[in-house]
Amino acid sequence: MSGAFTVDRTLVWLSARQLFAKRRAVLALGLALIPLVVALVFRLLVSDSSGSSGDFLIGLARDLVIGALLPLTAVLFGTTAFGSDIEDGTLLYLLLKPVARWRVVLWKYLVAVVSTAAVMVPAVLLPWLVVRGPDLPIQVPLSLLAGLGVGSVFYCAGFLALGAWSRRALVFGLLYVVAIEMVLSRNLTGVKAISAREFSLAISQKLLGNSAALVDKPVTIATIWTMGTLMLVVGVGLTLWKVRGYEAAERL
Amino acid sequence: MTAIELRNASRWYGNVVAVNDVSCMLGAGITGLLGPNGAGKTTVLHMMAGLLQPSAGEVLIDGVAAADDSSIYRRLTLVPERESTYGFLTGREFVRMSARLQQLADAEDAATRAIRLVELEDAQHRKIATYSKGMRQRIKVAAALVHDPDVVLLDEPFNGMDPRQRLHMMAVLRAEAARGRVIVISSHILEELNDLADNVLVMVAGRLAASGHYRAIRRLMTDRPHTFMIRSSDDRRLAAALLSDASVFGVELSTNNGSGAEGGGGGIIVRTSERSTLTHHLPRAARDAGIRLLEIRPTDESLESVFSYLVER
Repeated sequence: MSGAFTVDRTLVWLSARQLFAKRRAVLALGLALIPLVVALVFRLLVSDSSGSSGDFLIGLARDLVIGALLPLTAVLFGTTAFGSDIEDGTLLYLLLKPVARWRVVLWKYLVAVVSTAAVMVPAVLLPWLVVRGPDLPIQVPLSLLAGLGVGSVFYCAGFLALGAWSRRALVFGLLYVVAIEMVLSRNLTGVKAISAREFSLAISQKLLGNSAALVDKPVTIATIWTMGTLMLVVGVGLTLWKVRGYEAAERL
Repeated sequence: MTAIELRNASRWYGNVVAVNDVSCMLGAGITGLLGPNGAGKTTVLHMMAGLLQPSAGEVLIDGVAAADDSSIYRRLTLVPERESTYGFLTGREFVRMSARLQQLADAEDAATRAIRLVELEDAQHRKIATYSKGMRQRIKVAAALVHDPDVVLLDEPFNGMDPRQRLHMMAVLRAEAARGRVIVISSHILEELNDLADNVLVMVAGRLAASGHYRAIRRLMTDRPHTFMIRSSDDRRLAAALLSDASVFGVELSTNNGSGAEGGGGGIIVRTSERSTLTHHLPRAARDAGIRLLEIRPTDESLESVFSYLVER
């Protein structure tokens, strides 16, 4: 086994253990299961034959999963990826190794993205299993998951940087989710161009085609490419900048 | 042989000068880095570890700038002062993680050896969050030594250890030093460095106040009187005889009333400006007066007294 692979595997292992430590695993599981509970309640109250399952699942995905659970999960994992290391000073144990700092940043970021996306899988698939019918083929949850995956990439880039730079990253992250994603981006057209939530909706809508109406005016793919790339570069770049310039004594 | 060299190294944060123009060369063996809080010890250690760039001057490990290349950590390690570790990992997982990040061929075997070295075999499968402070220190040392580094930097390594653990850790460090390792220990526990360090660097307000063996430093401090406790068969007559020596400017009878098996009184405290003159004059004076010398002991040649003299300046 090559040395570089061992290092990468160890960084992935440590990052995953770190993200799911300290009750975060329970919290993530709780977030992942909320849509299932809502779907079960819906199934109990609304009969199978009413034909409203499609509208329900799309509404659930748009307002609850993409609108709230995705950014909340991304805040949880994105801000923790470096936040706890810098806050506790444990980053030293990684920096005092013959490992390039960009490698540490890259793997912590990717693990945060994959962890966020992984929580979204049961959040979409379980309610789909409960309410599925002829109008809800497997393409529907898969399209939603693709959009959620893209959203994870952009959200985590931003929250990773927030965690690296601020001691109150979780608070600022939640403020961002409420102020920008839940209020402003739904009402101001310009803000949609910097909203990872809108990017997720647009990707999912693109894949769903005319089979379901997730969003009225999705942002264009070109906007996602340009603004998404910008968010990604700025987020990961700021984190790398912080970690490369990290000086332990500044925390003493 | 590995060596650490500081060439006019300074480090400042904004307007605050943490380390000011420090030059020294450290080779194999144990060097104690001493100084009061805020003297710049941790900054010096972190510059040596390549974690801090000097604002001016150079910090070199075998002639190569410490902060330039992460590959230096194959040969150098630092045990940081902060207690924090990955509490959600077991001790063994933590040490094995270090071994894997060092890309050791057999990380499991290296982890086993390092854990045995610090005597934490029984607790290795427990989460670090459940460890005592002393155990955390030891598992940090195990993780730092897992790759057998040439240079070992330790920031207050004895914090939280009980006396038995301290003695064991001192033995571990002595053994590492005997293998030709360069070991630098920052500590405020002077007694331990007294026994442990071959060399000391004394930092005061960011400057290097003195370096070398503490006894040699003490001898160079000619503006401070040297103090000896002397017990003899007749302390009063010996005191009178010594006062005839120009270099002796103070003799007092010790308040200690105890006497040894050989008899004699509680001893006398002699202050002299010339250490060597006294050591030549004393046996002659005692012989001429027919007095038997029972004990001669310098009372201010401890690391603690050297340190306090330097800090008081």
